[in-house]
Amino acid sequence: MINLTINQKAYEVDVNPDMPLLWVIRDVIGLVGTKYGCGVAQCGACVVHLNGEAVRSCVTKVKRAQGGKITTIEGLSEKNDHPLQKAWIELDVPQCGYCQSGQLMSAAVLLRENPNPGDEDIDAAMAGNICRCGTYLRIRKAIHLAAEIQRKESNNK
Amino acid sequence: MISFSWLSEFRLADRINAPGLPEQWNEITGYIKITPDNIIKILNPNPEFGQNVMTSLPMIVAEELDADWKQVVVEMGPHDNVKLGPQFTGGSNSTRMYWKPLREAGAAARNMLTQAAAQTWSVPVEEVTTKGGMLYHEKTGKSGTYGDFASQASKLDMPKGAKLKEPKDFKIVRNSKKNVEGLKIVTGKPLFGLDYKHEGMLIAMIEHPPAFGMKLKSFDASQTLKMPGIKDVFSLKMYDDDFELGGFDTRTFNDLLVVVGDNTWDVMNARKKLIVQWEPTAERKEKINNFGRKQDVTIPAGLESSESQYQKMQERAKEPATVLRKDGDPETAFKGAARIIERTYNGPFLAHNCLEPINFFAHVTDEKALLVGPLQAPGWTQPTLAKVLNLPPEKIEIQMTRMGGGFGRRAYGHYLVEAALISRHIKAPVKLIYSREDDMTYGIYRPMYTATYRAALDANKNLIAFHIKGGGLPEHAVHANRFPAGAVDNYLAESWEIPTNITIGAFRAPRSNFAAAAEQSFLDELAEAMDKDPIEFRLELLRRAKDNPVGKNNEYNPDRYAAVLKLVRDKSGWNNSESKKYSRGVAAYFCHNSYAAHVVDMVSRDGQPYVERVFSAIDCGIVVNPDAATNMVQGAVVDGIGNSLYGGLTHKDGVAQQNNFSQYRIIRFHEAPKTIEVHFVQNDIDPTGLGEPPFPPVFGAVANALYKNMGKRFYSQPYHNDIINKKAF
Amino acid sequence: MNAFLNENLILLNFTAYESGFGKETALFFVKAIVVIAVLLAVIVLTTSAFKGNNIAADVTGCKSVNTDSAESVQAFLQVYKVLMSPRCMNCHPAGDEPLQGDDNRVHTMKAQRGKDGKGVYAAKCSNCHQPENTPGLHTPPGNPKWSLPPANMKMVFQGRTARQLALQIMDYNKNGHKNKKQLLEHARDTLVKAGWNMGEGRKPPPLTYDAFVKAWDTWIQKGGYAPE
Repeated sequence: MINLTINQKAYEVDVNPDMPLLWVIRDVIGLVGTKYGCGVAQCGACVVHLNGEAVRSCVTKVKRAQGGKITTIEGLSEKNDHPLQKAWIELDVPQCGYCQSGQLMSAAVLLRENPNPGDEDIDAAMAGNICRCGTYLRIRKAIHLAAEIQRKESNNK
Repeated sequence: MISFSWLSEFRLADRINAPGLPEQWNEITGYIKITPDNIIKILNPNPEFGQNVMTSLPMIVAEELDADWKQVVVEMGPHDNVKLGPQFTGGSNSTRMYWKPLREAGAAARNMLTQAAAQTWSVPVEEVTTKGGMLYHEKTGKSGTYGDFASQASKLDMPKGAKLKEPKDFKIVRNSKKNVEGLKIVTGKPLFGLDYKHEGMLIAMIEHPPAFGMKLKSFDASQTLKMPGIKDVFSLKMYDDDFELGGFDTRTFNDLLVVVGDNTWDVMNARKKLIVQWEPTAERKEKINNFGRKQDVTIPAGLESSESQYQKMQERAKEPATVLRKDGDPETAFKGAARIIERTYNGPFLAHNCLEPINFFAHVTDEKALLVGPLQAPGWTQPTLAKVLNLPPEKIEIQMTRMGGGFGRRAYGHYLVEAALISRHIKAPVKLIYSREDDMTYGIYRPMYTATYRAALDANKNLIAFHIKGGGLPEHAVHANRFPAGAVDNYLAESWEIPTNITIGAFRAPRSNFAAAAEQSFLDELAEAMDKDPIEFRLELLRRAKDNPVGKNNEYNPDRYAAVLKLVRDKSGWNNSESKKYSRGVAAYFCHNSYAAHVVDMVSRDGQPYVERVFSAIDCGIVVNPDAATNMVQGAVVDGIGNSLYGGLTHKDGVAQQNNFSQYRIIRFHEAPKTIEVHFVQNDIDPTGLGEPPFPPVFGAVANALYKNMGKRFYSQPYHNDIINKKAF
Repeated sequence: MNAFLNENLILLNFTAYESGFGKETALFFVKAIVVIAVLLAVIVLTTSAFKGNNIAADVTGCKSVNTDSAESVQAFLQVYKVLMSPRCMNCHPAGDEPLQGDDNRVHTMKAQRGKDGKGVYAAKCSNCHQPENTPGLHTPPGNPKWSLPPANMKMVFQGRTARQLALQIMDYNKNGHKNKKQLLEHARDTLVKAGWNMGEGRKPPPLTYDAFVKAWDTWIQKGGYAPE
C-alpha cells in the first residue's frame, strides 16, 4: 500500500511501487489534468509538484512520492485563481491546450522562487515544456503578467 | 488596470449549474437552444484541435442571432451531418465552410424570435427590433428577452433567406473573444480523448511491427498473460483483402497484435514480454475510393532506408516526368538563355507529433457502437465503421472530444476502426492508446520530396523561363497553377512519383509545406542573380500576372498576393536602419485560399542562428476572432521555424530512426522568436482559411534568413543538419 | 612547503634542545640545517615534476611514503581517460550547462548548473533524473545525488589537459576541499559509480570500475603526480 497526499487529500493506493506517478494519478486516482505526452521526461506535459518541486511524473516512480505532498493542476489553486491561471486566461494563451497543465505547473515553480523573473529565467524554467501549437510567446507574456498580478496581490495583503 | 473577464465565466457557470434550475432548452435551430432564463447555448459543429472554432463558429451564430455574447454558452455538437453540416476539420475549411450556414442559422433564429414577439405583442413583425439578446417594439415600449419567446419561437417553421447583416454592423465577429474553454484548460478539466472515462473501461495497446514492410507472423503471449492486470492478448485483422478503402482509411498495418489490461502502465509493461515473429510483407494492391475517385495503388514490398530512397529520388528526377502545365516554349527559351540557374531542394518525411498521442474509446455491442475521442472528421470514418462492424450508420455514435493537436493526422480514422474491433472482440468498453513511440513510428507522414527549379535569364537579366520538376515518395508537391505561373512567358511544371510502403497523409498545408520552402528560396536566389530586391522582384512578377497574365487557371489573385507582400514590407521596416542588425528573409505564399507573407529576422546567438522576431501579413478575408487568429498565425510561425530547422524522420531497413522527442527534435521555448507581429489585411471578403496558409512560407523565409546569417544557401531540410554539418542518414 | 619546514624546524629545535647542546650551539645547528633544508627544497622543487603544492604536505597533512612519480603518472593517464569520457565529463562541463550523450553535446532543454549545481526552477536535475535509472533507451539516467558541481567549485574536466586535470584534483581549493582520504573515498562515491551504471544505450567508461579504482588509488598513493 502506498500513501499519497494529492492536492491536500489523502489516498491509499495498492499499486506496484515502481508504477510511474503519472499513471497512478491518471488511471488509479482519476485526476486527468496531468497529461501523457512522451513517457520519457522530454515534453513536460506530466509535470506535477512533489514537495513543491516540478517533477516529471511519467518517470517518477510512485514510491518516490510516498509520504510526500503532491500538487497537480487541479490543485494549483483552490478557487481557480492562481495568478498564472488568471494571466493565461487574460492573454488567451492556449491553442489545443494539451500541454498547458504542464506549462502552468512548471511556471508556478518559477514564480514561487523568482517573483520577478527576466526572460532568461523564463527560458531556463520553461525550455523543458514542449508546445506543439507554438504558444511559447504567449506563455512568456503570461508569466510576466502573472508575476505582476502576484506582486499586486501580495502588496494588497 | 487589469480586468478579468474570467470572472464572468464563473457567474454564468454558476447560473447554469445551480441546483433547482429547470433545464429547459428550447431548440430554435440545430445550432441554437435558449432557456427561459435567456441563456443561449450554441453548438460548435466542427471538431476542435486548437484553432478555436469552439469560440469562433458560435460567434458567427451569435452575431446574426444578435445575442449578447455574455449570455452564450458553447457546447461541442454531436456528430450529426444532417443538422450540423459536414463537420470536418481540415484544409483550413472550418470557418470558410460554415460562414454562410451559421450566419443563416443565426439570422433564421433571430427571425423566428421576432415573429414570436410580434405574435405575442400583436404588432407588425417589421416593427420588432433586436439588440443583444433582447426584443423591442419601440412604438409601444414593449420589450422582452430571447428567453421569454424561445419556447414559442421553437414551434415556428424555420424561414429561408433571412437577411444577413452588413459586415460594418458586426458587433461580435471581428471582436476578440476569449476562448470559451480557457478556464477548463487551465484548471485541468477532462477535455481530451485520453481523459475520457467509461464505466468498466479497459485499456488496449497494439504491438506494431518494428518496421514498415513487415507484418505479424506469430506470437507467444504466455509471459504477457502472466503479467499483472492483463486481460487478454490476441490478433485481429482490420480489413479483408478486397476491402475498398476510403480516402482517409489509410492504415499502415492490417494485422494487429493487441494487449488488453486494466490500466495503461500494466499494458505498457506487459507488451515488453511479448515474443513475436514478424515477416516481410509481399507487394500488394489496394483499392481506394477517394470520395468517388477510384484508384488501384500498388504497395511495394521491402524494407526501405532513407539513404537509398534519397538516391532513388535523385535518379528519378533526371528521367522524364509528367507534364502538368506548359506555357510558351520553355525548351527554346532555355536553349537561348544567357544564364540558367538550377537548384534542387529536398524535404524529409515529417511526423505530425500531436502532443496528445493517438487514442480512441469504443464500446461495441451487437446492436450499436459508441465511440469517443479525438478525430477531425467523423463523417469520413463512420461509413468504414458501418462496413467493418456490420452495423447501420445510425447505430454508430461518434462523440468528438477536444483534440490535443491534429495537423491532419487525426483525419485518418484507422484508430477508431482498431478500437471498435478490439471492443467487439473482448465484448467490453475499451480505450485504445498509442504510446509516443507507437504514434511516431506508425506512419501517415508528410511525404519525402525533391524538387528541381530552373530559371532562364536573358542577357539583360530578365526572367524568360521558369521550370519546376518536382517529385515525391510517394506523392509530389507541385502546384502547377500557382505563382509564378502566370507571370512568366515560358513556364513548365512537371511531376513524378515513386511508390513506397511508408504511409503518408495530410500534414498542415499538404504539398504547400514543401513547395513554398523550395520556391521561395529559389525566388530569393533569382532576385539576387538579377540584382533585384526580393520583395520588389516578386511584386514585379505579380504586376505581370495581373496586367498581362500568362496562360489560364492561375490559381491566385495577384492583387491580394501583392497586398500581403506590401503590408509585410511596410510593417517590418523592410530596408530601414534597424533591420540592418538582423539577417532578414522574406517569403510569401498562397494556399488554402488565403495569402501570407513573413519577414523573418535572424541573429546569431551562442554561435547558432536564432529567429528573434517575425513580421507576418495575412489576407484571410474577414477575421472572425482577431486575437485567436493572431495566436494561430504565431503558432504557425513557430511550427514553421521548428519543422524547417529540426523536423525530419528517417528510416533504416524500414525502422524509424526517431521514435521519441529525444531524437525527433521539436522547437522549444527558448528557440521561439521573442515577438511575432501579425497584421491582417482589412477587407470584407468572406473568410478564406487560416490554419494552414501562414505555415508554408515560414520555411522559405527561414532559408532566406539563413543565407544572410551564414553566407550559404540551404537546400535540404531540416536545415539544422547543414548548420552543424551533420549527415541526415 | 612552509608546513614541512616548520614541522622539521620544530623537530630540530626540540632535538637540539633535548640533546643538551648549549643554546648557541643549538642555534648554529638550527641555522645550518635551515640553510641545507632550504637548498634541498630548492633542488627538490626544480627537479620535481610537481610544481606548486605538494600532495604529501598539503592534502595529506602527513609525511608521504612510497611515492613513485612514474607509476603515479602512468596511473593518472588511465584515470584521465575515464574522467574525460562522456560518463564523467558530461557532468563536469566547462560551461554552466551539462553535456549529454556519447558525443558530448550540450544538454537539451537549456538545463543549467544553478548556484548549487542542482539546476534551477522547473528544470532541476532531480526533476527528471530519478534516484535510479529510468528504464528504456534515451531516458534519464539516475542517481540520488544527480547534479553538477556547484557554481563556486565547478571542478571542470572539459577542455583540461592531463596535467591540468591532475593538478586541479590535487588542489584542495579546487577539488571541493577534499583531503587525501576523501579523494580516495570519492572514487567509491555513489555518483561516481553511476558512471558505470549508465543505463541502456550509453557507452561505459573506457576502464572497468575496478580497473579505474585501482588506477585512481595508485595515482594518489604513489604521490598524486601530474604528467608533463
